[in-house]
Amino acid sequence: MSQWLDQVIEQAANLPAEGWLAQQRHMSLAKLKNRRWPSRKTEAWRYTSLSPIEKRQPLTETSDTATVAVPNINGLDCIDLVFSQGQLVSELSSVCLPEGVRVFSLNSADARELADGRFTAIKPERHLFGLINDSLIEAGVVIHIAEGVKVKQPIRIVNVTSGHADNHSRLLVSVAQRASAVIIEHGEGVDDSMNTAFSEFDIAAEASLEHYRFALFTDSALHAGGSHFRLADSSYLNSTILGFGSKLSRLDVDVEYTGENANADINAMYLLAEGENFDFQSCIEHAVPHCTTDEKVRGIVGDKAKANFNGRIHIHRHAQKTLAELNNRNLLLSRGGQINTKPELEIYADDVKCAHGATIAEIEERALYYLLSRGISRSQALIMLNFGFIQELINEINNEAIREWMTELLRTRFARMEVK
Amino acid sequence: MLSIKNLTASVEEKTILKGLNLEVKPGEVHAIMGPNGAGKSTLGYVLSGREGYEVESGGAELNGKDLLDMDIEERAREGLFLAFQYPVEIPGVSNMEFMKESVNAIREQRGEEPLSAAEFLKKAKEACKQVHLPLDFLKRGVNEGFSGGEKKRNEIMQMILLQPTLCILDESDSGLDIDALQVVAEGVNSQRSEDRSFIVVTHYQRLLDYIKPDFVHILADGKIVKSGDASLALEVESEGYAFLNKVEATA
Repeated sequence: MSQWLDQVIEQAANLPAEGWLAQQRHMSLAKLKNRRWPSRKTEAWRYTSLSPIEKRQPLTETSDTATVAVPNINGLDCIDLVFSQGQLVSELSSVCLPEGVRVFSLNSADARELADGRFTAIKPERHLFGLINDSLIEAGVVIHIAEGVKVKQPIRIVNVTSGHADNHSRLLVSVAQRASAVIIEHGEGVDDSMNTAFSEFDIAAEASLEHYRFALFTDSALHAGGSHFRLADSSYLNSTILGFGSKLSRLDVDVEYTGENANADINAMYLLAEGENFDFQSCIEHAVPHCTTDEKVRGIVGDKAKANFNGRIHIHRHAQKTLAELNNRNLLLSRGGQINTKPELEIYADDVKCAHGATIAEIEERALYYLLSRGISRSQALIMLNFGFIQELINEINNEAIREWMTELLRTRFARMEVK
Repeated sequence: MLSIKNLTASVEEKTILKGLNLEVKPGEVHAIMGPNGAGKSTLGYVLSGREGYEVESGGAELNGKDLLDMDIEERAREGLFLAFQYPVEIPGVSNMEFMKESVNAIREQRGEEPLSAAEFLKKAKEACKQVHLPLDFLKRGVNEGFSGGEKKRNEIMQMILLQPTLCILDESDSGLDIDALQVVAEGVNSQRSEDRSFIVVTHYQRLLDYIKPDFVHILADGKIVKSGDASLALEVESEGYAFLNKVEATA
């Protein structure tokens, strides 16, 4: 049992009881009370230890939020909505929004209407930290893109954590029919605060979403989060995920197809060094026919870092003509590093095309020979090939500014890693 | 330039080269022809230092230095270039990044300053033009999704950029139509000079219509069994390799 969870429950019970959000918290809290703290035998937490938070005191003191350093992405013209220490520090009323975009604070009355049937409904209940987030949530934003509106300017939700206090944030996005949007979830932190950040996306018929999630928590940071998507008829999701590692960093992604002919392309990358941990788990629910999933996950793990990937694709009995591909490739740079990867395909329909693969590899001899034969040194060739492995996914990013920023960010990080 | 003496080499414990001798002087173009399995590609791999290709005996010197004692990258820096028959695709590493690293590694060896991004780009563009490769090929992953002909032209583009002293072309003509063949041949011919030598490995005489060799050698069962001038290639073309049996019978 966890002392921390006990105190979370106590803390949740003491939150204000007024407003629609309080009712939601109350319902989730009831569920949370029946949940057990995961042990090493709990499949979802098998390779990631929760010991860094088990005996933790949940601190709620709010520190100074005036000095938030918002991470800059050069050349990216985006609308920033900033959370610091679980407080929404952006004045929503002063944010200049494109036509057809509405943004509300989660606890406002306006948010309630949009939250109906979406909030806590898209995120599966099995996520323990999701329930914790539900039970404690006070600060969040709700974004709505009106029917047919194509918003090119990205909207970025920045979540910077510092200090030692627990903090929680929440996002709910609905993209109405035939609309499109670009949403970036950008999380960073180094201190030992415990942060949970969950988001739900409702993508209506023929709508499309370009989504990014940067889980850049490092050093002592403790983080558990999730992005959860519901896709209606002929909708499209393109999601790019980047994870660094810290003492505890866990990200869950869920996609549920509720309408036919919907597609999701998910590209996830992680680059871990030193003693970092990153745990990425995805679950794709093909509940209806004619949907397509293409998920590519690439990781590089060095030093004594530990990566865990669990990718589940569940094709329900009626989901005929599903096309699903899941591929996880890893490079292990050191003897001390650890990679646990598990693709899980569960198929109950008979007319589907599915492929999955997971590899933990070293560099291909032919490629190395080719570079050496042109005079490039062995160490440089290894760096190029190792990095090329991830660069492949970076090259698929639509947004040029993000593509360049990420290339630079990963190159810098990679340069610090030791290549054998 | 290149002096190969009694070279014997094996792959996976199977002896492929069985006492091969070859002298290449500066500025010369040598064609090596021969039937499948004779060891033509093996020669290029052994000289370039590919892993798994074991030299059992004999030697090879490049410009007076022991080639077989060097690492793969050192051989390239000494001026050896192998244009591959099947260039490998490396998604994620751009052609541009690849060539820039390569050019600068070789410049460093020669004691020259590395090229700036702009200087490199200028040279790379010229090299691309010379082999009729669209410029966006520089941005693409190394050979990624290139057609067979584009891969071959990309090899020649690299050769033009790297300015090696000894170029080994391993079946640079295979799979090319006549137009692509001419482009490759023109690229090669533009690089011919007094101090640069070529070994052109080919199965067919066709390429030699465009790249005129000074010498033609027939490689069979790991040895050079016959040497001559360009007319030997024509002989092979009309008679096939059947005469090899005669050679062996008289040997």
